[in-house]
Formats: sequence, C-alpha cells, structure tokens
Amino acid sequence: MGVTLAMLCRAALCVLLLGFARPGPACAEPTEAERMARWSDLQHAIFGDRVVEDAGDLVAIDAPARAEDAAIVPVAIRVAQALAPEIRGLYLVIDDNPSPLAAHFLIAPIADAREIATRVRIDDYTYLHAVAETADGRLYVAARFIKAAGGCSAPASKDQDLARERLGKMKLSIADRSRPEEPINVKLLISHPNSSGLQMDPVTRNYIPADFMQTLDVTYNGQPIFRLESDIAISEDPSFNFSLRPSDPTGPGVIKAEVLDSSQRHFSQSWPVPTAAQM
Amino acid sequence: MTIPRRAFAIVASLLLLVSASSRSETVPLAMTEVAAGVFVHNGVHEEASSANDDAIANIGFILGDDAVAVIDPGGSAREGRELRAAIRARTDRPIRYVILTHVHPDHIFGAAAFRDDHPDFVGHAKLPGALAQRGDYYLHRLRSTLGDEASGTEIVPPTVLITGRLDLDLGSRRLILWAHGPAHTDNDMTIFDENTRTFWLGDLLFVDRVPVIDGSLVGWLEQLREATAIPADRAVPGHGPVSVPWPAGADPERRYLEAVARDTRAAIKSGIGIANAYRQVANSERGHWLLFDEYHPRNVTASYKELEWE
Repeated sequence: MGVTLAMLCRAALCVLLLGFARPGPACAEPTEAERMARWSDLQHAIFGDRVVEDAGDLVAIDAPARAEDAAIVPVAIRVAQALAPEIRGLYLVIDDNPSPLAAHFLIAPIADAREIATRVRIDDYTYLHAVAETADGRLYVAARFIKAAGGCSAPASKDQDLARERLGKMKLSIADRSRPEEPINVKLLISHPNSSGLQMDPVTRNYIPADFMQTLDVTYNGQPIFRLESDIAISEDPSFNFSLRPSDPTGPGVIKAEVLDSSQRHFSQSWPVPTAAQM
Repeated sequence: MTIPRRAFAIVASLLLLVSASSRSETVPLAMTEVAAGVFVHNGVHEEASSANDDAIANIGFILGDDAVAVIDPGGSAREGRELRAAIRARTDRPIRYVILTHVHPDHIFGAAAFRDDHPDFVGHAKLPGALAQRGDYYLHRLRSTLGDEASGTEIVPPTVLITGRLDLDLGSRRLILWAHGPAHTDNDMTIFDENTRTFWLGDLLFVDRVPVIDGSLVGWLEQLREATAIPADRAVPGHGPVSVPWPAGADPERRYLEAVARDTRAAIKSGIGIANAYRQVANSERGHWLLFDEYHPRNVTASYKELEWE
C-alpha cells in the first residue's frame, strides 16, 4: 500500500466528517484565534463558570509533536510532585476530535498522580488540553499542539480473528519493585476494539456501530486507585500506565480492573502484586 | 458477398470509436515475461499519486492454453484497463480468473476493468471482511489522492473464496493458490505456477521497498518459513524487481522482520514507550530499504502493539 497517512487520512476524514461534524469549508486550517475560541467553548461546556488557571509548571502533557500513527497516539499527563497528592481528577480534552472529552480520570488518594498515560485517536491537527482538579476544587490547565490526523476513522484490527478471540482479556505488568519506598508502576492493557463509530461498512453503507469502553475501575485490595470515564477517543486495545502508593508498601496485594463497555459487557480480571522482596 | 451499406457504416464508425478511445486512454502496460507465459508489470517505488495512477505494485497475468489468470488487477481502474490492454495485445483467450492477493488498494483496485470479462474474482476467505472494514476508507483516500484519475475505480468483492489451497487449470497449466495465516495482512494469498516453477508472492515478499506490517509480525515470519520450502526457481515480489531467485530473494525481508521483532521485544522489556521505540528498533536496516522513514516507524508501532501481549 502506498499512501501517506498524514496526507490522505486528512482528506478522507473531511469527506467522512463534513456531513455532521464540521461546518464551513472542508479542511480549512483553523486560525490560532479560532483554536483559542474552540477551547474557550469546550472549557465552558465541561467546567461551566469555574475558574481554570494556567498550570505553569504544575501540569504538563507529554505527547509526540507529530504522531506516527494517528490511531495510536501515546499521551501522558504529568503533575508536579508538589501538587500530585492533592489531585482528585484529570481531564484529557482533544479539542478537534468529534467527541473532544477523551478521558476523565477520578483519582483516589493511593494513586500517584505524577504520571498517568494512555493512547488516543486523534482526528485532526489539534490542541490537547489536560486539566487537573484538586481536592479543594481548583482547576489547572496545560496545553499542547499535536500534528496527527485521521485516527478516528482509520481502520483498525489488523487481525480480526485475534481481536474477536481476545475481546475483554487484560494484561498487567508491574515494573521492578526493588525499592519498596518507591511507588508501584503498573502497565495495564485491555483487549477491546473501542470502535469509534466513524468507520464505514461499504456493503451496508452504514457506520460500524461504536463499541467502546465507558468505565474502567482499578482497585488495590478493594480500595479504588482510579476510575476512568472514557469515550471513543481511547485507542483500540486501551493501554494505561499508572502508579500507586499502597498504605502498606511491603505487604501483599491484589490489583483488580473492571471494564463496562457501551454494549453493556462487563469484563474483570485480578492480579497479585508481589511484595518488594519477592521481585 | 456484399455488405449492406448501412451495416458497413455502423461497423466502421464503431471501429473508429474503439480506436479513438484506446488512443486517448488505454496504453497497454509495459510487461516483462519473467518465465514462459508469466508476465509482470513492475510497479514504481513511490507513494500513490495522480502522476503514477497508483501503479506502484507488481501486477500481471499468466497465460494457459485455454485461459488467462490475472494476478492483481492493479491500483486503479485505469491501471486495470492498461493491464487488460496488455493481455489483449498478446492473446484473445478468455480472462477466466482475477486473483486478488490481498486487501491493499494498490493491488486490487483495478478489478472493475475486468468485470465485462465475467471472470471468477478469487480471494482469501478473510478478504470480504477486510474489504467491509477498510474498503470504503481506501476508496476515499484513493479518490482524494488521484482525483479524476480514480474515476471508474470501485470495490469488487471476490466471488470465489479460498481457505487452505485451491488449484486452477488454465489449460496445460496448473496454478496452486494458498491462503495464508496473518502475515503482511490477515488475507494474503500466494500463487505457484508448476510449469515454470514461478512463485508469485504478492506482498508476502517485499524486495528493495521496506515491508509494511499490516497483519502480524510473528505470523509473517512463520509464513515466510513455510514459503521458503516451496521448490520454486524464482519468485515475483509484490514490490521490488519483477523476479528474484527463490528462496534467496526472501533473505533481506526476513532479516528486516527479525530485526524488528528482536529490537521491539527489547524495547518493551526495557520499558521504552510505544512513541519512542522506533528510534531504537532495526536501525541497522536503514539504508537497505526505500521509503524506510515513511513506513518503518509505523511498522514498529504495529509490532509493539502486537508483541506487548506476549
């Protein structure tokens, strides 16, 4: 196959989305002022009249400036050490996606909010905004511009049989725990198409129905670490990196993940966390 | 015998029409006869564009005593028509089969040019599913790249589906078709011509142009192991020269895929994220391949996503 994603996805998407997502001329690049106005609208829609302060160095988004594959763009939200213990919510907004609020993490006290990472679909050159919410209701926003396009309608599932067989299965890996005073770093993979509803079946001329993860609850010994409320912007086979600081860092524990998707399917899986000495 | 004047006039004007349209549109594709009766058109090593009509893959046909089999009708209706003209410049035998080696548009979007021949369109059992998922997306992309040059290009679904193996008889010539497990895509087919021991691999084999991993990296290495056992004298790659010796012609591809697998596993193990992994994967391969920077990073992303489940 021989067409660059960057160039062609964009054009294809305009055709796909023109009908229902984007008024005005096809593919006209928004001006900086229009982008600012869009964020202002989104901020109002999500946070109402609450004050949203510029995060300065307190919050940052880590993402490639130009994505190699717009359907799998890794994004990490970082929070400064000083602020991290106060964080109770993290919002990830992809301004120019059809459904901009990509993720809302509800962060529990045992989570280490210094970094949480996932992979998202990005539909068009866009700003990403990360908003961190503290226990006492302050909001801090950080922004990052990213060049990627076509991620929402790009065909996924390279191996369709494998995707069906593996639906709902999860994989959890825990990084080396040689130092019990350090947080436990966890990587969680969930096998799920997380279909965007923007991929079309040419035979029926219908869009393939969206089928995505709505909530993900992750607990440690029954205590919440975080809950994610999510949407079609999370990539196929959702992936999360997060950390936690259990109250008893040397004791044994169990991490459990539970998923509820938009087809009302429920998946859950548990993993023992070895004590630092066992690793 | 006298021909009624009116009938003569009609025939003459029809002939004029046909020759006029063929002059203005359909120039037969340049073909190389890589073995007796096996004709290959050499695709250019470029991205699809309106200048090349998406004629970027190796495509062609095989002549039997009774019939013709097309192997990949090309990247656009226009390229399909030019391939058909190249066949008709050599034979009037019926075009009985159009073999669609896999879902990618540069190989199969020329199929509409052969509809009036009423051939069997032969594809992997998983090709219809892949077309349902991706066909329309590919068509939009092609139209936006090629513009008017894409006109007439349509999705033609396969009419004969194969799992395992299927033999086709072209008249004193047997072709053996295999449907493979996930490799380059999840719907790859290869064709073996017994008479000349020519093995047509489609995109299971890339030479010179960097392979595109759009199925399964691990699966591809497996399928390649099996394919190298086929006793062929030469292979036709989906991209690269029209013919390479077999199995030696697969060595560079295997080396690339093994390097990607080894280095991606190492990156996952050492906790390097999916965004940065490509910087440290298979760097030794840079310089060996055309379009490396266009496709290699996405190959690594795809491989990472596959291998992180191991």
